[in-house]
Amino acid sequence: MVITPIHYIFVPLVAAFAIPLLSKINKELPRIIPGFVMFYNIIISVVLMQQVNEFGYVSEVIAGWKAPWGINLIITPFSGFLVSLISVLGFLIWMYGYRFKKVIDRGELRTYNILQMMMITGAIGIIITGDIFNLFVFLEIVAITAISLTSFYRERDGAEAGFKYLLIGGFASTLILLAILILYTQVGTLNMAEIAERMHTVPAGIKATILILFIVGFGIEAELFPLNGWVPDAYSQAPGPTSTAFAGIVAKAGVYGLIRIIFTLFDVDGAYEFLITAGLITMIIAEAAALKQTNLKRMLAYSSIGQMGLALIAFGIGTKEAVFAAMFLLFNHAIIKSLLFMTGSILMYNSKDKTINSLNGIYKKLPFISILFALGAFAIVGLPPFSGFWSKLYILTAAADKNMIFLIVTILAVSVVEIVYYFRVIGKLYFSEHESEIEIYKPTPQALVAMTVLGITILVVGVYPDLVSGYFHNAADILLDKASYIRFVLNAESAIQ
Amino acid sequence: MQEQFNEVFTKYHEVITWSVYGTAIILMLIGLYAILIKKNLVKIIIGLTILDAGVHLLFVGIGYIQNGTAPIFSPGNENAADRMVDPVPQALVLTAIIIGFAITAVALSLVIRLYKHHNTAKIDQIKSLKW
Repeated sequence: MVITPIHYIFVPLVAAFAIPLLSKINKELPRIIPGFVMFYNIIISVVLMQQVNEFGYVSEVIAGWKAPWGINLIITPFSGFLVSLISVLGFLIWMYGYRFKKVIDRGELRTYNILQMMMITGAIGIIITGDIFNLFVFLEIVAITAISLTSFYRERDGAEAGFKYLLIGGFASTLILLAILILYTQVGTLNMAEIAERMHTVPAGIKATILILFIVGFGIEAELFPLNGWVPDAYSQAPGPTSTAFAGIVAKAGVYGLIRIIFTLFDVDGAYEFLITAGLITMIIAEAAALKQTNLKRMLAYSSIGQMGLALIAFGIGTKEAVFAAMFLLFNHAIIKSLLFMTGSILMYNSKDKTINSLNGIYKKLPFISILFALGAFAIVGLPPFSGFWSKLYILTAAADKNMIFLIVTILAVSVVEIVYYFRVIGKLYFSEHESEIEIYKPTPQALVAMTVLGITILVVGVYPDLVSGYFHNAADILLDKASYIRFVLNAESAIQ
Repeated sequence: MQEQFNEVFTKYHEVITWSVYGTAIILMLIGLYAILIKKNLVKIIIGLTILDAGVHLLFVGIGYIQNGTAPIFSPGNENAADRMVDPVPQALVLTAIIIGFAITAVALSLVIRLYKHHNTAKIDQIKSLKW
């Protein structure tokens, strides 16, 4: 059997339909099957990344209709990197969520596992598809599963958070639909490569209209201000593994959608300045809001928004160095923020009233989790020798190359704010007396393994950044080379059958 | 007689085309109004579906060709490529309708949960989550 990109979508879909049937045979199966699917995703990623390294692109034509007419799946070095990252994270999140206590207490294991698996599949689909309407469909898969998972717990305010997300998401998806419609009337095709090729025939005013509609649509998943009202609510109300997936996976897919639209489809003057401005506003407001949060998961959610803003700034600078730095940041954010959410959920579960203040001296009861949380916090604020340091450094040097002094000052100032609120939590963890005598719930061994893997990755990449940076350089070059993307998609004989 | 008929026929089609576009835009505005102004959760969802319906109508409208035929090469229709309606928007709108249906279903189930939890369906009285 030859492994092709369609397996990313086909296998989880079959598994999702099979889970309700198989759960009649054995109660454990709904929990175990997603693990196999996620592991298979990693195998696909390994095989496909070898092909990408060899040929530059991997493309698959679905149902024998060649590129401009049918739907094609395409893996570039940039999207291949994101897909592999999501596959590995998906597997780790599955390990973490396997026997996650609150999910088991709630019951409904089938629902939870199917939704979680489909959300990750939708995110992968957004990244690998080469067809703009297909992108919309996958975006909706992500939105619907994410909304359902947000309102998974009955006793919390999940329904309220879910409804907020649904209002914003439903409205934005209509806008994307409208944008696709206008685009189709102008260029008469839905294939992204062909759209990019014919884009110069579209009048500037209509181009701007379409771009704004797309930015609003994808901005909700990419956590762009002011479209991110749902983020802190959804992150704090969703189950622990789901908020991890939101930060590590869904946000990445949203940023990818935005970047693919702006870099490949539209090469409009001002789009890059727009990215920088939007990123700056998002980052400043999010970090300021994070400072006054009392709930740890809300604080992490705002911090996540801030990091996405920083990534958009880096993409907006637009040089090769900056795009490279942005990819490094996406990688770092995925592993570090996942670790923070994983450890943070366990810490929160063991605190008395779910606030940061009630974390007093909990490190005595959960020493290993506390150390991992501290590691993540050090890494995300950008202290050397952890991996977060390198991405921030590269972003600052890329900004310095273009003489953007204001950007550098703002990023550094915001870093100080980050340090303040992360170190406040660490101070609570380590330097306060433990008073509450509640029963401590220890994480499962699988969860410990998942968190340890992430922690080790942060340390190793921090000491040897060259392990990944060479690959990111290559990916950044190819992301900026739009002509080769178009040439490849439109000339590809159904390369891999 | 034939010419006159054709003229009337053309006019009639133009009116139809523009009334489809006009209706679509009016529907979208009504939906937008309901989402922004209404306080009741169910009314907001109705607004969302009306907005969706407007976009769907616009989709169908752009695929429309005056005096068109189905996009199938059949006996007697071998050279009709320029008269065929565009099948792509119709395929898209089917998908979009299904997605809209799914969103509506999820939304209504959330409203039931919210109503049980807060005992109200007014959006301004449900505010346990804040910045």
